[in-house]
Amino acid sequence: MQKAFLVDGSICLGCNTCAMACKNQYHQDKGILWRKVREIGAEEYHIDNNNILPTLVSYQKAPTAEMPMERFYFSLACNHCENPACVAICPVGAHTKDPETGICKHDQTICIGCGGCVKACPFGASKFNEKMGQAEKCSMCWERQADGKTTACVQSCPVGAIAIIDLHDPKYKEYANASPIGIDYAINAETKPTTRFIHPSMPKEVYRLPKG
Amino acid sequence: MSYSKENVESIVNNGLSRRSFLKGLAASGVLSSFPGGILQANEDLNTKIPYLGEKSYKTFRNACPRNCYDTCSIKTYVKDGVMQFIEGATESTYTRGGCCVKGNSYVKRVYSARRLKFPMMQVGGKGSGNWKRISWDQAMDIIAKKLLEMKKEDGTLLGAALTKYSGNFGITHYGIEGMFNSIGYTTRLAGTPCWPAGIDAQNLDMGDMWCNDPEEMKDSKFIILWGVNPASNSIHSMKYIYEAKKKGAKVVVIDPVFTEAASKASQYIQIKAGTDGLLALGMAKIIIDANLHDQKWLDANSKGYKEYKAYLDKEIKLDNVSKITGIPLAMIKELALSFAKAKPATIWMGYGMQRHTNGGSMIRAIDAFVAVSGNIGKYAGGARYGHLNTWGFNYAALSMPKPEGSVGYTGPEGAKGDVAQGKDAKSNYTDRFLNINKTARELINAKEPKVRLLWVACKNVFAQDFDRNQLIRAFQQLDLVVVADQFFNETAKWADIVLPVATQFEEYDVNVSYWHYWLTLNEQAIKPLFEVKSDLEIAAMLSKRMNQLQAGSCTFPQSVDTKAMMVKEFNPGIYEQFGIKSWEELKNGPVKAKAVIPYADGKFKTPSGKFEFYSDKALELFGSALPTYLEVRKPYDKFRMTSPHSRWSLHSQFQNLEWMEDVHPEPYVYINPDDAEAKMVKEGDTVAVFNKQGLLRVKAKLTDNVQAGTVLMYEQWYNNNIYNVNELIDDTSSDMGAFKTGAPGVALHDTFVNFRKL
Ligand code: SF4
Ligand code: SF4
Ligand code: SF4
Ligand code: SF4
Repeated sequence: MQKAFLVDGSICLGCNTCAMACKNQYHQDKGILWRKVREIGAEEYHIDNNNILPTLVSYQKAPTAEMPMERFYFSLACNHCENPACVAICPVGAHTKDPETGICKHDQTICIGCGGCVKACPFGASKFNEKMGQAEKCSMCWERQADGKTTACVQSCPVGAIAIIDLHDPKYKEYANASPIGIDYAINAETKPTTRFIHPSMPKEVYRLPKG
Repeated sequence: MSYSKENVESIVNNGLSRRSFLKGLAASGVLSSFPGGILQANEDLNTKIPYLGEKSYKTFRNACPRNCYDTCSIKTYVKDGVMQFIEGATESTYTRGGCCVKGNSYVKRVYSARRLKFPMMQVGGKGSGNWKRISWDQAMDIIAKKLLEMKKEDGTLLGAALTKYSGNFGITHYGIEGMFNSIGYTTRLAGTPCWPAGIDAQNLDMGDMWCNDPEEMKDSKFIILWGVNPASNSIHSMKYIYEAKKKGAKVVVIDPVFTEAASKASQYIQIKAGTDGLLALGMAKIIIDANLHDQKWLDANSKGYKEYKAYLDKEIKLDNVSKITGIPLAMIKELALSFAKAKPATIWMGYGMQRHTNGGSMIRAIDAFVAVSGNIGKYAGGARYGHLNTWGFNYAALSMPKPEGSVGYTGPEGAKGDVAQGKDAKSNYTDRFLNINKTARELINAKEPKVRLLWVACKNVFAQDFDRNQLIRAFQQLDLVVVADQFFNETAKWADIVLPVATQFEEYDVNVSYWHYWLTLNEQAIKPLFEVKSDLEIAAMLSKRMNQLQAGSCTFPQSVDTKAMMVKEFNPGIYEQFGIKSWEELKNGPVKAKAVIPYADGKFKTPSGKFEFYSDKALELFGSALPTYLEVRKPYDKFRMTSPHSRWSLHSQFQNLEWMEDVHPEPYVYINPDDAEAKMVKEGDTVAVFNKQGLLRVKAKLTDNVQAGTVLMYEQWYNNNIYNVNELIDDTSSDMGAFKTGAPGVALHDTFVNFRKL
């Protein structure tokens, strides 16, 4: 089983509820968001300040030219990669990949704060918490899932734009073979990120007042 | 084992997880003396918490009371007396387990380091910044003495004014009006800045403002979102709109701005601001000419259709409609005809559209179009605006008798607030009503007696009212300004006394919506932090002090608990409407009112009992019996400025929170690239936006979501940023509002500005 986020960009409102629901659940420090809602069409893929070594600076522009900024979004947290860089690099085994669910967990009681994962993650998912001197990231709410609940972000999304799927379930075949994020910015795809993204689309008819 | 504050901070700073820390505290029994205090000692503390499993928490029922369509039902998770996190109640099909970005920041609102903690007094004069902590007793003593002194000197308490609005729409919060009722006849800032023109319009047309259940929209075949942006401001409604769309319904957004909702619709039609009414009249003409109107319904249920049709025939020229609205005629025709052919079809009108000098007329025109199309009184149809149909509480907290011998205002009968007010016994006097939308000048101009004391509750005057420079003058000339709030906002800065108020998690209340049909209990989930008190407790304390100083001077109960007051608000009507036997059932979750379709029986509360195209009342009040085209305000500067609500705030609430700063750190002015180019403004430049009212410095974002000739700035209040869009807004009235809410609305979106690069 490989649990994965399926984010539907065609209905995502960009409301940031998912990002805040995550803060509501875990109380991350100021400046740290485990889930981030980004605008499609922004020139730069803004790497968080606390990423020590951004490895990714740009991604393909909006799928269609007329798709305006600030209106189309993708919500992204940790991709719980099939071949996670964070797990590979961690010298003390604080990052582990759950063999049953495929969730990449990070254990703060072990983390020595070397920051290797923060540097290694191509998606800026692993964050460095300066005050604790430790890394932290989305845990796919494994404790909530173990308790029979869904993740905080999924539960809160007002339109059901995020779902948890099993990429290995034949039911989701179309996603299993899709490009990792859907939008072509997963340059370092060798980590095999599992998040799948349904493309946004413009309304069929858009009328704007003529200039002048 | 005992913990000093330093002790606490050092433990937390040394990286002990809060969980084990709390465990330690709980074991040592000192937690009760730090009710959540540890969470706020320093806003940057390591406060990360793990999820411990449903059974580890005590849960409480809460509601979001902040003047939002969605009025979410909340489930609050508490451990060791500390709020851990919240979720939307799953029992409500509307909230469906979620809140919005704002609601999800509630924990940080409660435990914000920035919260007001103690009563304070500004000793160096208003705006001096010279504050002193005082006790509640001292605060109440100062206020009570002032009130009694005013009463003695003026012979009345009309010198005491209350301004309260939508910071908390919980039913017991009408106790603040109750507090003012209980001291005598006083002055009230009446009216509403939100939706008055539209309320009047709907009342003229249908005798009420009453909308279909939003959950029905899933079965609508055609939805027009007209000047409303639910993707930002009523996000839980979006799922019904998506559902309809998925089932094949067409969703059209008509708005001057390419909004978030527009980006998710089937069709977006940009329109010139303030011309929506004309478009609706044109669309009505088109469907009547095509014989697609519902003649049968109109014959049975409407008054003045003939006059209305004659007006359309004579005055509405479709070429003109196209020219003035900016929309091609073929598109208008297609829209009108396909709407009329789809059954049921519905229009949701936003509160933005009526914020024009012709706002009420525009809502009337759209009501008329929906009526002509035969969609009023139908399941999944309707001309949706809002409703107060589930607000039939007792308003026990409000209905206080006047003290013996109270003297009041003898002028013509004053206005009333927009939500039910208590029925006063027959009296020769009334309170004095000033227009809330002209607060600054009304406070300055009020005479005999002049206003000497102002009480501010559930409202951030400086962020909500207009003409800031006049406001400062108005505040300065008052003897005493009392601000009861949760944060040190700009209004607090101009106060003499600031009182820290409880959040909804620290008090009992009951909440309903003006949009959906759910009823939610709000329980006290945690003990009040610091020295905060509920508005009701404050009223009781004031009553106690006043009666100590002068027996019988205040009729408000001298001690009150919010739960007891909440219980008093229920009545058989509410139980019947919501199908419950007792308020206690609400502990199991929110309940929904029995389904009703507004006006399905064809009965309207208008004088004629019918839908009134022709309204005598409208003629008497506004000079036009029919929904006619009224031109919008003429520009007085280069660019139209529109100032809608953002997704990050509700009026001035939420954007000031630490967590919110992480998702939306700073304000912008949104400018069309063509306009920006002409002014040599680039993305990220700081620009000055200015007009006759004032000037704002703010960063520019270039986007053609905003049409050329228009700039957009959201209404928001930041903690450490002096940005305030109302700096630029004058208090020009919209055409309607005085009929039902006591004062006309404000033509917020008829503001004009210029800008330049700094
Ligand atoms: S995924 Fe859902 S919650 Fe997150 S921004 Fe999109 S619509 Fe909002
Ligand atoms: S997204 Fe980054 S942090 Fe998450 S599993 Fe992949 S490499 Fe690790
Ligand atoms: S799955 Fe849980 S931890 Fe991950 S982003 Fe969503 S809420 Fe946050
Ligand atoms: S602001 Fe509105 S949508 Fe958000 S939690 Fe409150 S009621 Fe719900």
